[in-house]
Amino acid sequence: MKDSFWYPIVFMLIMVVIFTSILSVMYRFNQDKIMRQERDSYQRAVLSTLASAIAEYTGESRESIMAAYPESYDTYVVSQNYPGFERECFQAKVDDEILAYCFEIRGKGLWGSMQALVSTSVDLRTILDFAIVSQQETPGLGARIEEDWFLSQFRDRLFVVNPDAEGDVSQSYEFIAETQVPENDRQLRRVTGATITSDSVVKMLHDEFNYIYKYFRENVL
Amino acid sequence: MTKKDIFVNAAFKENSVWRQILGICSALAVTNLMLNSLILGLGVIFTLALANFTISLIRNWTPRSIRMMVQTLIIASYVIIVDIFLKANIPEISKQLGPYVGLIITNCILMGRAEAFASQNKPLDSMIDGIGAGLGYTLVLLVISFIRELFGFGSIFGFKVLGDWWISWNIMVMAPSAFFLLAMLIWAINTYYYKAKA
Repeated sequence: MKDSFWYPIVFMLIMVVIFTSILSVMYRFNQDKIMRQERDSYQRAVLSTLASAIAEYTGESRESIMAAYPESYDTYVVSQNYPGFERECFQAKVDDEILAYCFEIRGKGLWGSMQALVSTSVDLRTILDFAIVSQQETPGLGARIEEDWFLSQFRDRLFVVNPDAEGDVSQSYEFIAETQVPENDRQLRRVTGATITSDSVVKMLHDEFNYIYKYFRENVL
Repeated sequence: MTKKDIFVNAAFKENSVWRQILGICSALAVTNLMLNSLILGLGVIFTLALANFTISLIRNWTPRSIRMMVQTLIIASYVIIVDIFLKANIPEISKQLGPYVGLIITNCILMGRAEAFASQNKPLDSMIDGIGAGLGYTLVLLVISFIRELFGFGSIFGFKVLGDWWISWNIMVMAPSAFFLLAMLIWAINTYYYKAKA
């Protein structure tokens, strides 16, 4: 029977149906949990990038704001849509006063796309905080862009230095070795062994700020 | 062969990595951090054990002409189960391992054990063989990642063990270091175990 023409086809079909069904059931049972985990992780990242601005205004500590998630997220963070603006935008808001903005930005890394969150001052010129949400870089090399020493280089940095420019609104940066100490505010330490990934992060910020700042300059500010 | 012999054979005597030179790609890719190596190793043990068991269970009904398609389907299904489990329960690790979990499907050890053992032996024996082969693979990953993480980052499982005085060996973080460490491991085992025994 095993040598007949139809047996392998029917056998394979049965196997596919059985295993696809098992996977479908398994996914269905875990779908809500996975989506909840992804949503919580994303909202925590948004809150984290805005926490310093909220803490400064309310007098609460950054840690207590993070510990009070999800209540603190619901209290302080508002998702905002602007017509024709193609980025996720969040505002940290207290008593109807906007304290900071947070944008979801995207760019290309060495191996795939990168997704990050950047929070800015109300005039959108200074980066308050910066976090990588997802990336596909090499673990131990490019993936180290998520480490705090690398990300902290962008914190409280005046990024938009040419607010009226038609071209690039930000300045160019020079990368130095990870072990070196920057001598001026144009120097950034790159991740050792991940030159392209480090460059990609700065390129993503440049490109996205050019888009975001120009949109806000013309439509919101 | 007793069940203990099957286990010892799969894990050590005929270890998939140092004896059969299988599963090299992931052994090179993820071994710069011990935690990633451990989680990937556990994923491979789970997949190997259950895939071997299932393949063995249906071996008498599986047509020879499509056996490899069936094996791939079974292996892929278990890998997706591992992926769903990690995403639902330990999302941080799932994020860190990224595409490597999916790449378990392409790990030669799985197809190798399915073809060499599971398709010719009883389900329980095949499961033990899968656990043994998976443990042997995980052992190699952990040995290599121990050396790479220690010298590359000065840490073990993310905990700093070498102080700030330690200057990290960047070569250990990069893939080439895994090549020569694996080669040295294979040489040492061949010289001091197999040749000494012969």
